[in-house]
Amino acid sequence: MSLLEIKDLHAGFEGTEIVKGVSLTINAGEVHAIMGPNGSGKSTLSKVLAGHPSYVVSKGSITYNGQDLLEMDAEERALAGVFLGFQYPVEIPGVNNAEFLRMAYNAKLVKQGQDEVDPLDFDEILDEKMKMVGMDKKYKDRFLNEGFSGGEKKKNEILQMAVLDPKLTILDETDSGLDIDALKVVAQGVNKLTNENNALIMITHYQRLLNYIEPQFVHVFSGGKIVKSGGKELAHELEAQGYDWVTAPAK
Amino acid sequence: MSGSAVEKTESQETAVLALHKKFLGGEQAKAPLRSINEAGIKRFELLKFPHKKHEMYTFVNTHELAGTSFELAGEGPVDTAWVQSRIYPACKHSVAVFVNGAFQANLSDLSGLGDSFKIQCLSDAVVDDEIKQTLIDSLEEENDVFAALNSAFMHHGVLIDIPAKATFDVPVQLLYVSTGTSSGAVVSHPRLVVRLGEMAELKVLPVYAGTRGNYCVNAVNDFIIKDGAGVTCTQVQKDDAESWHVSKTRVQVHRDGRLFARNASSGNRLTRHHYEIHLKEEGAELLLSGATVLVHQEQVHNFIRIHHEAPHCTSEQLFKNVINDKGRSSVDGTVIVNKGAQLTNSNQLINNLMLSDEAHSDNKPNLMIFADDVKCTHGTTVGQIDEDQLFYLKTRGLSEALAKSLLTTSFVNSLIQTIPFPDVVADLNEILLKKLEAKHA
Ligand SMILES: Nc1ncnc2c1ncn2[C@@H]1O[C@H](COP(=O)(O)OP(=O)(O)O)[C@@H](O)[C@H]1O
Ligand SMILES: [Mg+2]
Repeated sequence: MSLLEIKDLHAGFEGTEIVKGVSLTINAGEVHAIMGPNGSGKSTLSKVLAGHPSYVVSKGSITYNGQDLLEMDAEERALAGVFLGFQYPVEIPGVNNAEFLRMAYNAKLVKQGQDEVDPLDFDEILDEKMKMVGMDKKYKDRFLNEGFSGGEKKKNEILQMAVLDPKLTILDETDSGLDIDALKVVAQGVNKLTNENNALIMITHYQRLLNYIEPQFVHVFSGGKIVKSGGKELAHELEAQGYDWVTAPAK
Repeated sequence: MSGSAVEKTESQETAVLALHKKFLGGEQAKAPLRSINEAGIKRFELLKFPHKKHEMYTFVNTHELAGTSFELAGEGPVDTAWVQSRIYPACKHSVAVFVNGAFQANLSDLSGLGDSFKIQCLSDAVVDDEIKQTLIDSLEEENDVFAALNSAFMHHGVLIDIPAKATFDVPVQLLYVSTGTSSGAVVSHPRLVVRLGEMAELKVLPVYAGTRGNYCVNAVNDFIIKDGAGVTCTQVQKDDAESWHVSKTRVQVHRDGRLFARNASSGNRLTRHHYEIHLKEEGAELLLSGATVLVHQEQVHNFIRIHHEAPHCTSEQLFKNVINDKGRSSVDGTVIVNKGAQLTNSNQLINNLMLSDEAHSDNKPNLMIFADDVKCTHGTTVGQIDEDQLFYLKTRGLSEALAKSLLTTSFVNSLIQTIPFPDVVADLNEILLKKLEAKHA
């Protein structure tokens, strides 16, 4: 059984279709890259997968671990192991970052029938994960993403991935905002977290990230659809020749 | 129709006059205050209870309050343990307890404040010309009928008189206990005058609580802040849900004086705070903030008039209201910048978070500027929980209920956390933030 099976998915806002017929199968142990020009609908696809209530799915199906994903709300999907690293993480003033991370961690433990951890024990877990993604400890006591630089916000997303250890991770443009040194550290962290039991979808506009996290599959996304799929060599061709040669025929 | 409404109000006013007559003839009235009592009831007769279109009561329906017939509250008895559990740990030796407005020496402990902290009955303090004049002025210029009633029934108010340059390490808690009844409704009229001499500093924490419902507390607080003096006043309204709370705070701030006034209200049948603040001389500074969390049919209203009367004065206002169920809140605030009050700096921000379709919020920030070189802003937001913030938290596995309570709590918490008294912050966690948990859990 595949971990994720998207079949002919059409989705968008009331009256505007943005995702126009996507089919994609992902098995545990796989790393996929979705590349495409800005405005093609990549983030929309990622938010539909995570269960954002503003999007309307007009056609198609998504099966995750044998379950109908579209029947589950965002919280259930998260507890079932789906994780989205946002392109633009929101700022939430007044909510302490470490407390938030502990709440998320505990929500998962409770779901698995385990006891919650107290703040002291969680602090140790958090320190280790922060080291793994190269994040300064001072961000523990800041309000969630408030006043974080673009790069720190992205690191904070990966930190959440590390804390929650998801089965299916979608990283939406995690590389943008990170300088090359930070990108290397973050990529190392992500590589440590991927294994044969989970899967990763990286959405990116640039090929740079793929030098550090190697995908087995690359999909070119344009006009709300996957217009070409291939191995990792496809990423190099895109880097060399731009998107026009693949997207032009689709228009 | 309208004929019977007029008759109804008239009978309400007649009932107040009868109560006043009984008061003057009874034991509670104090001879030195009699002329003020009489002037107060005259003012009441002139002003009358507010009708629907009264400009001070545009957003506040006082019909039920005015229509309730009250007896004057006595002085107790009150359970000592109940009182003690409401004294903040930091104020153990700096607390004045009032029961239905009357100072209770046996429940109070002011030993931690030293000799420069002076508290005395207003009936003794009226021999002081400035105090007497403050009480008289408050009547001649009074446009708020409830404040006029406070003067009409004033008998057990106190003066806190702080000499020049005196400062105190600890805040002073003023615990106002109302004892409701199981039978008829009762009303009390607490009155406080605070006078700070030049360069003196005082931190006061007025706290209003009730042992049971069915009462109205109608308080008036006067602050006279002399040159360079500073008052930090953090007021906590945590009355019984079945009560009414009306308060008026009148302030005169002199040269380089400061008032940092914070107000946290848990709401009840009706709470209305009226602030009348005069920044009288150069360099006077005001900070005024209010926080509420309302559920069921609770109401909290703020009516604010800030007068900038001299150059280089500053006023900062911030209100945060969380309103659920059929709660109602209003902020009606006007900043008046007089001619000649150049280089005034004034900001007012009102933020409302609405948690239900039936929640109601009225906001009327207003500026009246008669000087030409000023910096004034005002703004209002009325919003629901941000959908993207909610989604973000849910994608991390937080339940909708937990995510919502986190977002609503953080909204008001950002203001509560700025209160510089840990005991009050802890108290507000209990009385305000708990409401948000209970609602969503
Ligand atoms: N709230 C919205 N309502 C309607 N269209 C939107 C909204 N938000 C984004 N879009 C449109 O959806 C399209 C896809 O956006 P997005 O999924 O963010 O693309 P990508 O991530 O590939 O850059 C864009 O044309 C964008 O303008
Ligand atoms: Mg995008």
